[in-house]
Amino acid sequence: MSATATHDDHHHDHHDPGFVRKYIFSTDHKMIGLQYGITAGLFLLFGFFLMIAMRWSIAYPHEPLPEWIAMFFPDGWEARWLQDGKMTGQAYNMFGAMHGTIMVFLGVVPLGFGAFGNYVTPLQIGAPDMAFPRLNMASYWVYLAGGLIMCGSFFMESGAAKSGWTNYSPLAGINDAQIVNQWLAGQTQWLIGLVLLITSSLLGSVNFITTIINLRARGMTWMRMPFFVWAMLVTGFLLLLAFPPLEAAGIMQLMDRVAGSSFFMPTGLYTQAEGLLELSVGGSPLLFQHLFWFLGHPEVYVLLLPAIACVAEIIPANTRKPLWGYKAMVYGVLVLGFLSFIVWAHHMYMTGMGPLVSTFFQTTTVLISIPSVILLTSLIISLWQGSIRFTPAMIWACAFLPMFGIGGLTGLPLAFNLVGLHLHDTYYVIGHFHYVVAPGILFGLFAGVYHWFPKITGRYMSRFLSHLHFWPSLICMNLIFFPMLTQGMAGFHRRWYNGGDAYLATDPESANVFGQTVAEHIDLNIVMSYGAWLMALAQVPFLINLVWSKFAGRRIESDNPWHATTLEWATPTPPGHGNFTTEPVVYRGPYEYSRPDHDEDYLPQWTAPKKPADQPEETPAAH
Amino acid sequence: MEIPYVVNPRKDTGLFNSKIAIWLFLASEVMLFGGLFSGYVFLRIGADYPWPERTLPVLPGLINTFILIASSVTVVFAWASLKMRKWRQFQVFMGATVLCALVFMGFKAVEYGVKFKHQALRMKDFTMVEGHINYVKEKGGDGHDAHGAEDADYLRDADGDKIEANQHVFAVESVSFNLARTYHEPWVEALLASAGEKGAAVTLAETVDFNAPDAEETDGDLVFEKGTALGTGVLDEISGAFAANYAENASWRKRYLRTAWDMKWADVEENDLLGEAAFAADYPKALEFEAEEKKMAYVRWKAAERAKMAQDVGIGEVKLSGGTEAVTIDGKTYAERELPAPTAVTFTCSEPVVVRHPGHDVITDYKADNKTIQLRDGTTLNGSYKPSPMDFHYVDGIDFQHLAMDAENKNLDPEIAIENSWLVKNNPLVADLWSLHRQAVGQLEEILGRKGKEPTKKDRYRMGWQEIAWYMDLIHEHKEKGGEGLPEVVLPDDANAPPKVSMGLKEHFMGPNYDKRRFPHLTIPRSEVLLESKFTPKWNSYYAIYFTITGLHGLHVVGGAIVLAYYLFCSRKMYLANPEWLANRVEVGGLFWHFVDLVWIFAFPIFYLM
Repeated sequence: MSATATHDDHHHDHHDPGFVRKYIFSTDHKMIGLQYGITAGLFLLFGFFLMIAMRWSIAYPHEPLPEWIAMFFPDGWEARWLQDGKMTGQAYNMFGAMHGTIMVFLGVVPLGFGAFGNYVTPLQIGAPDMAFPRLNMASYWVYLAGGLIMCGSFFMESGAAKSGWTNYSPLAGINDAQIVNQWLAGQTQWLIGLVLLITSSLLGSVNFITTIINLRARGMTWMRMPFFVWAMLVTGFLLLLAFPPLEAAGIMQLMDRVAGSSFFMPTGLYTQAEGLLELSVGGSPLLFQHLFWFLGHPEVYVLLLPAIACVAEIIPANTRKPLWGYKAMVYGVLVLGFLSFIVWAHHMYMTGMGPLVSTFFQTTTVLISIPSVILLTSLIISLWQGSIRFTPAMIWACAFLPMFGIGGLTGLPLAFNLVGLHLHDTYYVIGHFHYVVAPGILFGLFAGVYHWFPKITGRYMSRFLSHLHFWPSLICMNLIFFPMLTQGMAGFHRRWYNGGDAYLATDPESANVFGQTVAEHIDLNIVMSYGAWLMALAQVPFLINLVWSKFAGRRIESDNPWHATTLEWATPTPPGHGNFTTEPVVYRGPYEYSRPDHDEDYLPQWTAPKKPADQPEETPAAH
Repeated sequence: MEIPYVVNPRKDTGLFNSKIAIWLFLASEVMLFGGLFSGYVFLRIGADYPWPERTLPVLPGLINTFILIASSVTVVFAWASLKMRKWRQFQVFMGATVLCALVFMGFKAVEYGVKFKHQALRMKDFTMVEGHINYVKEKGGDGHDAHGAEDADYLRDADGDKIEANQHVFAVESVSFNLARTYHEPWVEALLASAGEKGAAVTLAETVDFNAPDAEETDGDLVFEKGTALGTGVLDEISGAFAANYAENASWRKRYLRTAWDMKWADVEENDLLGEAAFAADYPKALEFEAEEKKMAYVRWKAAERAKMAQDVGIGEVKLSGGTEAVTIDGKTYAERELPAPTAVTFTCSEPVVVRHPGHDVITDYKADNKTIQLRDGTTLNGSYKPSPMDFHYVDGIDFQHLAMDAENKNLDPEIAIENSWLVKNNPLVADLWSLHRQAVGQLEEILGRKGKEPTKKDRYRMGWQEIAWYMDLIHEHKEKGGEGLPEVVLPDDANAPPKVSMGLKEHFMGPNYDKRRFPHLTIPRSEVLLESKFTPKWNSYYAIYFTITGLHGLHVVGGAIVLAYYLFCSRKMYLANPEWLANRVEVGGLFWHFVDLVWIFAFPIFYLM
């Protein structure tokens, strides 16, 4: 490490930086991680709020939004987008598109990869910081700019994007066409924001991968890396390689909007508002779907892996036994990463690609369940015969397993193109992927917050409040999402802004079978909506807990409060700039719990063997 | 702790940090351009029109290819010079690299510039016409303009640019603004400028009063008298008053509707309207059902009743079990509170005012006798169309390929379809050119037929500028000699394409030399226009992907050149302090530069040669 001592211009970093350098334009990976975390948290709340408003429209399509929702809307905005206080289809579409976009691109990915990845990865590999701290800072600011540009469009004449988070053309091409200056249309702002977000994740992923490859501490061989780091490595590669095709699609769609091209707009398109559209020839809507889902599917794993990575750290520390099948999990996650690139068209069974293509993607989709099941099974088996400590983090991690399991298993029917024909675009799909993302991934990330909070602040989070957060959340999540599976199988379409009200049969003798089915299941809307609103209430204890524990929580007794084995617990609390006070050396694998040859039930990676070892790289004796 | 491996490579990986980073970055760049190139393949395979093959002049692209390859070599020399610690030599090679980048972008700019000025037109029968469009003269309307008449008084827009004769020309008698939308300011200004020139007045057609109907004293601010002159200030005031009233109305409507629902739900609860008893009363038949079926019937009935309730509840009154009941708040119903909020205001012109709008901004489909057209910002113009033809002063391309393809798809003879096309039927000169071209293609068929080949579709159905110039010269010579009718086309025995004039060096870069070449003039009525565009992304998906890929590549060239120029001009200090670090940076920058070169190596053949 002495090789770098020659950089004169780096030395000022060591002095205490001013407020702005420390908290705002910080280059420290921990501060950037926190910035990511807080920003993503706020975006998550915003995205959740949009859904709360939408759920009113689904449950009570003819009633004005109640004051506790409507009070958040500015007056002029409300007059423009609501009709007699009721949600319009336009506003619903806008909220729906932005809910998806915000949750995926501005909420969960930045929270999992940006916040946890940034904070924990360098600590776990014993690095002083990310390989490129300023790039890291740029990555955050570009992300914030992208997010604000996207959300700012709510207040434009056009409103925000309304074409779903997938932004399919030609719908996305037609929307907001009435705006003369296309740069000021919500649909265009969405694309600009997206290009910025992709740039941000590109900077981030290059940084992560370089850091993991080159900045591992002495003795931190590949197979001694915690699973968390492996997951981040794979996530980094997914972002690096899957996002650019979407950037290409974004640029092409941007050209369609501002340069008049028709990449994705088919010849002879006719709309009610404009008649025959002035389009060139040769555009292909299908091309957009291919480019979008080439990102879209790996993106699912970009969402998932950080959460499963948090859980994989929390379970060994709280069962006091090694992670079961560490190697299998590592290989599993690598295979998962690879396979995720060749399953994208299972989102497109309905586009008429032909049976041959569908069969190919059906096969790869079924294959990808193998590594997924390896990961989940290993985590479940890790619980077996453990002396489990139900810390706040652990209850969330334990809930993650079955919830993510439901999400995964409900995905299996969707993999088959015949079943897909029936379930496509129904609430079943919504239920399936929300089980993965909400009670699955978000629970994993909540677990992460409870687990690393003591390292970040030096204080525990309140146990009481965490239970008050956990149990209602678990119940509400299932109240929201389980009925969706039922409704979906009954044929409820995912984009009905009035919850199916327009389709139900009002005559009990009606021969309209679908209308009768809708009538039988439509009351579930009310159950789900109450679930969502109570779910919002259930987050209050969490927010209180964060603030209260930061200032008044019980102080931790040592730098390693959970008696864990990985390197982040070897740092001072909270870690200072440069992370480690002495250069860390790694002597063994990441999960050495309950070794029979050791007095304590954990043996950290950094503890030197009792006999002085000449070669720290040597693998410890097998047990 | 310091961040390690910034300058020296890590032993086990053999790499310093930025080298890993650049390779990763390039991997992602490969995926980005891979996505775009896949897009190219997808668009080309799926094209529902004749893909323009080999349509760009090869020479500029070829020169650019060699320039980029040369710069890739010099950037390596620059790096090697640094490794050998030869600063002067580094400067020379890096300077050469940056210079190459500038020359490359120079050629690119010329190439783009020519396309941005070149007009294309697709007619309703899919005939394509290419050429240069005339400008509108201030006097004499949209008539032809003799070439070289530099002094003619052209109509100019607000930026002082000449206006092209390719827009919708509409004489406005009255204009209505949609107050729910934001009007486009430049259009209003253009209308006012045009009115000003004519001395016409544009004034409010009817008095608009935004005061509450029962207001005792009218507030002067909110009354806009009939005859108020149009201006952006007035429009803003009217829009503001409308928005305020609209928001106020909306807020009251929301409150009334909420109250109406409260009344309804109170009634439902009080009279148990959704209960089992009501169900039994409403649907007695269900009492005989099995328990399970009865339960489902009840669920369905309840959902239907809930949905039906919405029909009873409104702003004005709520149907309760007994009859109707007015919704009142503070003793007033909504009708008593409603503020005037008309969604449109109309201004009339004292005499018709001519405005021009590109086809893209006119939402209404063109019909010559349209009395009303709508603009993109929701503004409605009433009046009548003036002649709005597409007026080419040089036509340097007539292309029947798409028309022929369309005819073949319909099992028609393409030749007959072309004979019946609007252009051949209505324009004698084009008919002559086409007849000469048919002669040429006939001979070509014979010549190639001897070798067992045949002319391509492009040879058959497209007359490019070189062919047109050749035929025009032939006709001209024929006439000079005093010949009657059409001249004979005679192809040499070794011909493998229709006859064409040879291209001058400058013409490779700038397109045809209009001072030297002869081209037909052409006026095409608006009603025959399906799509008009410059040679921009709008024209077809070939140009769209061409501009996207080469444009993005150009941005990479510019970005790379800026970084390399930074190393060239701003790194002396680093060279003295830590030359190895600088060499690393140049190496990384050079790797990126190679990638930029590589992208071009792919882009050049697919766009210029294939």
